Amino acid sequence: MDLALFWIPAAVALASTLLVITRKNAAHALIYLVVSLLSVAVIFFVLGAPFAAALEVVIYAGAIVVLFLFVVMMLNLGNTSVMRESRWLRPGMWVGPAILVSILLITMVYVIVGLPNANVTTGEMVGPKAVGNELFRPYLLAVELAGFLLLAALIGAYHLGRRYLEQRREP
Amino acid sequence: MAIEVPVEHVLLVAAGLFLLGLLGVLVRRNIIFLLMSLEVMMNSAGLAFIAAGAKWGAPDGQIMFMLILALAAAEVAVALGLVLQISRRFDTLDVDAASELNG
Amino acid sequence: MLEYLWLVPALPLAGFFALFVTEGKLPDKIVAVIGAGSVGLAALVALGAGMEFVQSGEASYAQSLWTWMAVGNFTPSITLYLDPLSLVMSGVITGVGFLIHLFATGYMWKDHQEPEGYSRFFAYMNLFVFAMLMLVLGDNLLVLFLGWEGVGLCSYLLIGFYHRDPENGYAARKAFVVTRVGDTLMAIGLFLLFRELGSLDIQTALGDAGQLDAGMATAIGLLLLGGAVGKSAQVPLQTWLPDAMAGPTPVSALIHAATMVTAGVYLIARMKGIYDLAPVAQLAVAIVGLVTLLISSFTALTQTDIKRILAYSTMSQIGYMFMALGVGAWSAGIFHLMTHAFFKALLFLASGSVILALHHEQDIFKMGGLWRKLPVPFASMLIGSIALVAVPLTSGFYSKDAILLTAWEHGTGPWFWAGGVLAAFMTALYTTRMMVVAFLGETKTEPHDASRINMWGPLVVLAVLSIGGGWMTFSVLDDLLGAIDHIPHIHPAALVTVVLPLLGIVLGYFVFSGRMNVNSLVESSFGDALRRFWQSGWAFDWVYYRVFVKPFLWVARVNKGDVVDLAFRITAAVTRGFHHVGALTQTGRLRWYAANMAIGLIVVLLIVASV
Repeated sequence: MDLALFWIPAAVALASTLLVITRKNAAHALIYLVVSLLSVAVIFFVLGAPFAAALEVVIYAGAIVVLFLFVVMMLNLGNTSVMRESRWLRPGMWVGPAILVSILLITMVYVIVGLPNANVTTGEMVGPKAVGNELFRPYLLAVELAGFLLLAALIGAYHLGRRYLEQRREP
Repeated sequence: MAIEVPVEHVLLVAAGLFLLGLLGVLVRRNIIFLLMSLEVMMNSAGLAFIAAGAKWGAPDGQIMFMLILALAAAEVAVALGLVLQISRRFDTLDVDAASELNG
Repeated sequence: MLEYLWLVPALPLAGFFALFVTEGKLPDKIVAVIGAGSVGLAALVALGAGMEFVQSGEASYAQSLWTWMAVGNFTPSITLYLDPLSLVMSGVITGVGFLIHLFATGYMWKDHQEPEGYSRFFAYMNLFVFAMLMLVLGDNLLVLFLGWEGVGLCSYLLIGFYHRDPENGYAARKAFVVTRVGDTLMAIGLFLLFRELGSLDIQTALGDAGQLDAGMATAIGLLLLGGAVGKSAQVPLQTWLPDAMAGPTPVSALIHAATMVTAGVYLIARMKGIYDLAPVAQLAVAIVGLVTLLISSFTALTQTDIKRILAYSTMSQIGYMFMALGVGAWSAGIFHLMTHAFFKALLFLASGSVILALHHEQDIFKMGGLWRKLPVPFASMLIGSIALVAVPLTSGFYSKDAILLTAWEHGTGPWFWAGGVLAAFMTALYTTRMMVVAFLGETKTEPHDASRINMWGPLVVLAVLSIGGGWMTFSVLDDLLGAIDHIPHIHPAALVTVVLPLLGIVLGYFVFSGRMNVNSLVESSFGDALRRFWQSGWAFDWVYYRVFVKPFLWVARVNKGDVVDLAFRITAAVTRGFHHVGALTQTGRLRWYAANMAIGLIVVLLIVASV
């Protein structure tokens, strides 16, 4: 029963992710991405990380996907792009990468199953208080660095998004 | 609420998500899909961290997840800016069109 | 004053820097003040230091400035060393140098070829004076070598001063390359000396010279002689000096007559301790001097360019100095160096006045009858000439006599004396020829004497020194140089020594003023061939061109592609090949990179799993 509680959202996540990468319409893919992210959030909750689950919903499924949505709307990807996608996504294209990824999957399964202390179960609840205590004490420097990163991203995104860059194309 | 799940099950799911994301990166030519696949991959890495944290009952896993979150946010902001520029400059979303750095 | 000795080289150096950093933007009058003034002040300091030194009665005075570098036990120091030898040298350099600088302020004024080069000229000249002073004052062979190369550089720069004419650039390069041969030998000699004695401090090295075995001492002596031969334009490295006359006349006076070319003499005199141990090397010095003396005095007889005559004359006079050192007349050699600096500088400057007045005409056969029109240059030339010929009571007489009389008593017999006397006769002959042809007879080119006090002033001072310089033997220099023996001038050999030059003057006067007809002799085929042979400087240039220049050009032509470079080109090509292969992996396609990363991930995981 307990495992079912884990495997149901896991199956949903895997299935929806598969749908994300096979969609031709970007908007549809985004919807599936939201589903995938939400199911991962459920897994987090199951694993005893409620704070991470909340952040997953708020930031991933909320902010980041909305950002994607804005861009998709700005680029106005309509029927033409769907047709172009079907031209790009010929079935033959899947073969090579699929083989590569399968090999990787086998390797990973082999590595994971062969873990030195397999069958150790999770099950401990780690609440927001513990996370906060840890985050702002030993990991303070990492928080600062993340802040720098976000600032740099802010400036970079602002700069890249401006239209004038377009006019500087070489003649 | 916390249930006992063998840690390798979670890691297997994380691996599956990661590889699906990788498959997307390898197959899709549309740069929007490429970025979505990247998000999936990062998310799966976060899942692995959470699993590890849950296994030891330590908050470090969640902290790593948060840092990944910050990274993902930053990445998406810059990458989408680039997407806009690429679509303006090359008039396409084909990532192979932006191959000017070939040797 | 002695503690201000460092100012002697420092002042010209400061003058050089002042002129160098202003890049010729200063007005010419200020340039003249800096250029001549710095050397003049240095001369005053040198005079003061010299007087104090003489009064102190010490054998030497050393002023240690700083240690140049310290590498293990190799610690060459920048030390100024004053002893009679370097005092005489620095006195000549600053004193005569100042007079020549003063003359040059007039000579180079609004120069016809390089009106913009006034500042550049004095910058080079000041740098030269500094380098020359470091050469003679340095107490370390490394410092000496620094000065040695410094004067070589300045010589190069000043020979090629009129750089717009490629001929002058060629002459400058020739001087540089030919002296480089000697410098290489000298450098090897210095290396040997350092290896054997472990010190480049001259006094230390000479003090330890007794440890050298005879063969090594001979080798070092010969190698240093090689350096001296190159710098002092002695056979067989003499060919650069006549061409060096391409430089402005004050340069010829200062560098190629009075100071730099005597650096070889200074070097050998300074290394006396080595040559005392190596009689073979010392004999070689004498032979080099004698051969040069004879060759160049015969050559001077056939030249038509007044500066080339003086250049060959300089070579022969330095030949005297070498011979003096070689036969053991150390002090007499240095004494002759000093007197020669006086009268040869005088001759050059006077000829410079003449050349300037004739609008840069240097051919003596186009001059003629100038004695009336240019009285001051004529008088100066005359005084310089009689000193050069060694007419009794002039300065040249005392020094040359001392050399010849020492040669008379040399162990190998009177050969050196005989050669010296023959050359003295030839000297009288070609000097008389120069004076008669250029100043007597009828006027062929109308002169314009525009010289002012800054030009004829130095001439007068140098003329006085040329006459009276010899009397110093009886007072100051006796104390300093000591060993000039007062050989009685009434002596069979001495009589010949005195009379033969006078004979040469009389003969020269009759021949070249046309009173004695020698045309039949000169125009015979043998006479003509001999004349051409002498005029070409005994065909040294001709031989060198065929033996060295042509084969070198041939090798250069054959090796145009540069065989040695091949190794480097192959390396470059291989690297480039690898680059191209590596660049193939750079497709610029994001997915290609991602796939490669996935493959890498598989490899890493497998490695991790297998451990």
